[in-house]
Amino acid sequence: MHLDRIASRIILLAKLPGNNRRAEVAEELRTHLEDLAEEMRSRGYDEEALNRIVRMRFGEAEEIAEAFASVYAPERLAKLILQSAMLVTASAMAVVVVIGAVQLIAAICTATSIVSILRGIHQEVFGFGAITAGYCSVYAGERIFPTSLTKALWLSAALGVCLAAVFGWLVPQHAALPSAAFACAAAGRLLQRVEIPFVWFAGTALPLLMAWALFGPLISGWQFPWLVWVGLTVSCKALREIVRLFERLFVEDFA
Amino acid sequence: MPFDRELLKGSIALLILKLLSERDMYGYEIIQESLRRSQDAFEFKEGTLYPALHHLHKRGYLHSEWRTGKNGKQRKYYGLTAAGRKAARRSEQEWFSFTKVVNAILSKANA
Repeated sequence: MHLDRIASRIILLAKLPGNNRRAEVAEELRTHLEDLAEEMRSRGYDEEALNRIVRMRFGEAEEIAEAFASVYAPERLAKLILQSAMLVTASAMAVVVVIGAVQLIAAICTATSIVSILRGIHQEVFGFGAITAGYCSVYAGERIFPTSLTKALWLSAALGVCLAAVFGWLVPQHAALPSAAFACAAAGRLLQRVEIPFVWFAGTALPLLMAWALFGPLISGWQFPWLVWVGLTVSCKALREIVRLFERLFVEDFA
Repeated sequence: MPFDRELLKGSIALLILKLLSERDMYGYEIIQESLRRSQDAFEFKEGTLYPALHHLHKRGYLHSEWRTGKNGKQRKYYGLTAAGRKAARRSEQEWFSFTKVVNAILSKANA
């Protein structure tokens, strides 16, 4: 490994929080390596021997990176928690805005009173939370287990089951819809990974269709919730953009 | 005689604090100074000095600043803060007490 690459490798592996800090540590290590190389040159070593001795004296990049990582672990964790909280808050706000807008448009189109929509807002809160949680849980799983989609989905599914139990306890009569919304958002995120355009629309529709097929016959007059599907689909699109923006802003810290 | 790695690791903070209590230094200078004083006996992987420096810096024992050296090269100098001076004195006392106790045990064991 060339000397320049030692510092870069340490920075890559150490996962230091913050671009400025990474640049500063890289510069500090590079200066040390240059001083060390100069010392060896002045002793008359050729480039090959010099590289070998410098690497030997400086130590393994992995070991140094590990030591750096443990020094900055609390800071990194705090930053990660803060960024995750920001993502979840921004996502929840986006869902509220999107679904609110869809409902408003629907109310205007069907000449329905807006007050009648707001009457059920306390139940809608569960839906907003479920969509945000469904989408963000799959995304969190992707970040925590970047090499295993199965593990990522297990994480999301575990959260989904817990939330369904909470919904069942808090709003037993209306637990199906937020649970389905969670599954829709999670499936939407999952299918957004597929390169084929618009295929993720199916992700937001399938769990709703299943809920409709399962619970529809039990509830008289229950129709397929088209409006919910539109709201969910637009929400998933908005959440995808938020995640992209988040990654652009914090990709170095979150990588 | 090469020293045990864990022994070196455990004493690196004390050495940094002690050396920096005399004057501000940059990483490479700290290594050179410890090699000179120990007559090349205190040899450790030089890269591991930096996480130790950053750890002490984060604990508030060190301050740091980039300065331009005589050859025009920028280097990050470290110095002790007031808390660092206290920590240096405490660590030094601890070390002397510790070695005194260990020596006492060893000398009795050898007697």
